[in-house]
Amino acid sequence: MLGLKKFLFRGSASATLPDDVRASLEVWRASKAAPLDDLHFHTRYVVVDIVSSGSNPDSDQLLGIAASSVWKGAIQPDDTFYVDFSTLDGEGSTVDRELTAFLLFAAKAPLVTYHIPYVGGFLQRAFKERLGIDFQPQWVDLAWLLPSMFEDKGDTVMPLDHWIEVFGLDAGTGRRDAMANTLLLARIFQMLTVRAVGKQIDSAAQLIDESRASSFLRRNH
Amino acid sequence: MTTQQQTGQEKEQVQEQAVGQVEMSLRQGGRSRMAGNTQAFLRNHAPFNKMQPDALQRFAEKAQIVFYAAGSEIVGPDSGKVRFFYLIESGKVQARQAGEVTVTEYSILSLSAGESFPIGAVTAGRPSTNLYTAVEDTFCYQLPADDFLALLTSSPEFNLFCTRYIASLLDQSRRQLQLQFSQRASEQQTLNSPLAGIGSRSPITVSPETPLRAALETMSKAGVGSLVVAGEDRKPVGVFTRTDLLDRVVLAELPLTTPVSEAMSPNPFMIEEHATAYDAMFAMATHGIRHVLVTDAENKLTGVVSERDLFSLQRVGLRQIRQSIDGARNVEALQQAAADVRQLSFNMLAQGVGAEQLTQFISALNDALTRRVIQLNLENHNFDGIEWAWLAFGSEGRDEQTFSTDQDNGIVFAPPAGASVDELKKRFLAYALDVNKDLDRCGFPLCKGNIMASNPQWCLTLEGWKDQFATWIRTPQPDALLNATIFFDFRALYGKSELADAMRRHLLAQTASNPMFLRAMAKNALDVEPPLGKIRDFLTDLEPGHPGKIDLKKYGSRIFVDVARIYAMASGVHNTNSIQRLRLAAQRLSIRADEINAVLEGLNFIQLLRLQHQYLEGEPGTQGDNLIDPDTLNELDRRILKESFRQARKIQTRLKLDYQVQ
Repeated sequence: MLGLKKFLFRGSASATLPDDVRASLEVWRASKAAPLDDLHFHTRYVVVDIVSSGSNPDSDQLLGIAASSVWKGAIQPDDTFYVDFSTLDGEGSTVDRELTAFLLFAAKAPLVTYHIPYVGGFLQRAFKERLGIDFQPQWVDLAWLLPSMFEDKGDTVMPLDHWIEVFGLDAGTGRRDAMANTLLLARIFQMLTVRAVGKQIDSAAQLIDESRASSFLRRNH
Repeated sequence: MTTQQQTGQEKEQVQEQAVGQVEMSLRQGGRSRMAGNTQAFLRNHAPFNKMQPDALQRFAEKAQIVFYAAGSEIVGPDSGKVRFFYLIESGKVQARQAGEVTVTEYSILSLSAGESFPIGAVTAGRPSTNLYTAVEDTFCYQLPADDFLALLTSSPEFNLFCTRYIASLLDQSRRQLQLQFSQRASEQQTLNSPLAGIGSRSPITVSPETPLRAALETMSKAGVGSLVVAGEDRKPVGVFTRTDLLDRVVLAELPLTTPVSEAMSPNPFMIEEHATAYDAMFAMATHGIRHVLVTDAENKLTGVVSERDLFSLQRVGLRQIRQSIDGARNVEALQQAAADVRQLSFNMLAQGVGAEQLTQFISALNDALTRRVIQLNLENHNFDGIEWAWLAFGSEGRDEQTFSTDQDNGIVFAPPAGASVDELKKRFLAYALDVNKDLDRCGFPLCKGNIMASNPQWCLTLEGWKDQFATWIRTPQPDALLNATIFFDFRALYGKSELADAMRRHLLAQTASNPMFLRAMAKNALDVEPPLGKIRDFLTDLEPGHPGKIDLKKYGSRIFVDVARIYAMASGVHNTNSIQRLRLAAQRLSIRADEINAVLEGLNFIQLLRLQHQYLEGEPGTQGDNLIDPDTLNELDRRILKESFRQARKIQTRLKLDYQVQ
């Protein structure tokens, strides 16, 4: 793990990147994000969860990313992504490629997760330090959105396990891996979009606004 | 260039495509992780737990996860060709037959975790005939139709499961059909439910010795129009109604101190509590009564069922129809009654009365109607002192009338000694013509084949009929065989039924001594085969003028009816009704009960489809036909229809063996 830390969080970034990574990053930078004003059904959301060595994005390590898209109402097995950094034995450019691959996979789609400061924090630091990228995607934070969409089921920010329980989802026994967690988040997100439509929150843009508003309101009031 | 440099260049070349490749492999990693997640679910549910690992993997890698909030529609007839095979991960889904084919909302299936749908539709690549709705928040795995079909061919376990599923659905649906067809949509009470749960549980009773005054006071206090008179042992001895009060007390000037037993109607109609509401209804129709007393096994009173209890929701009551038929003074009044019979039959169909009962019921009321027409015309024709009977043939003779039945009738008479047969026959023909015309006006169209009593051919003396039967039996030409299928299903509708009995005895004796005849009948009956396709489910191009349709009479019920007739004649069964014929003949011929029951279910289902079709397709005033398009049936009905045709083929095969027909 020590070696890994070295690779993931080295000092300088873009100058030493392999050519293919640089090229891919250019492609990514130049790519246009899909419009956010489409209906949920037509919007490709990417649900993402991470594995880390601890809970502090500034000091702990990012060990893996698991993501899946929710598109046309369905979680699509053909559109999922899983990377495990913990098995790497020191090939730094591999990590760069894998992080770049995630950017290409996500394709500037709105990202859905549970608790942005945690997930977003780790991702931002990794992208900054490895690829020199300021990673600022459009976030939808379930941790804040759920209590505002499902007031009847819980009115404050709560641990994910609480929501899994109130929705009666089968989380299996024992430790969940990151992909299982992502798929649970994706299911919860599917339920949330139905609820959102019921509240006239019909597009990704509106959902992102609602997510920001709910976290702002709850933090400040 | 050094080796090291070379290696470096190669490496760079590899690296140039590397991000794309890495993305591919990480996507693959995601897919297999998700598939592993899905497999954990699949492994807990049949048939997936029995599938080979590679098939399971394929399913899991292609299965998308979808969410349906409670109350939302998943897939239905309007969603077009089914695009996915659904497997419920959690929640509950209700399958409801939709569309025009069903009358009631029967066959509502509830599906839960581990169950899948719509197997038939996705297999056939057509729209679902059922409407699937999430009744709870539901997660499903959805497998795209192409992947489903690929799995069907590559996984024998999955294939077997789908085949069996459809078969079990059939079995399940049979039971459901029985249950639900006998169930009112709006309430739990069914015409097949025992009388024990229907009507008044604590009828007002008085003892036979009760003075009229006390009895009347009891009635007044309880606000009822009738009393049951029962002894201390609770065994009913009579009923006392308002009608009795008028006729037997007031008009008869009976003192109010008289015991009620002297004014009551004795020997009330009683029916055991395990009998069904249908039985009670049938008794009311047959006997023209309004109340039926319900008793336990020891004949002790446990309740009263009134016509109102059975038909509280209906516009037209059974007894009103019976009354209006019996009291009709002219054909115009009977026309209204005939319309009411139709309406009531439709209501019963909608309420879920089975085909066997419904056809009998229609026949019973049509009988009453026909008898009244016969009676009314007797006012203009006098046959006093002459033994004669009005005969019903064909479906009417078999008690199997559907909504559209034309007339098939005849007359048998026994001329008194010394009378002129010709002169008598002329009188009967004139009379029959009047009856035939009146029946036509009441909605029984004239027979296109002129099988009517007004046709001199079918207005015969007893000896004439016997000769006719004997001729057909001795020389089984095609014409004779065709006639046999109509005329040998006869019963007396009015008049001296002994004449019909004599005809029957003669017929059975003749067939018994002419084995060639039954063999010829068997050969004839095997001419038409059930429309089962080798590749497709059904052959729908058998009727030249009606592509895409199946004649349910010609290729369905008639097969059963023909076989029933032959076995009945072979085993000396006197009944004409096909179901009774098959049941009784099966006993005599030692055919296993479950085997014959399956056959009868097949016949009943086809009859039910015919009735439904005539009801739904028939426009007021027109004749419904028997042509159905199997593609318009829902999946359940299609499967059962197929099974019913298989039953038809089964009894045909048996007939073939029994009569050595090649």
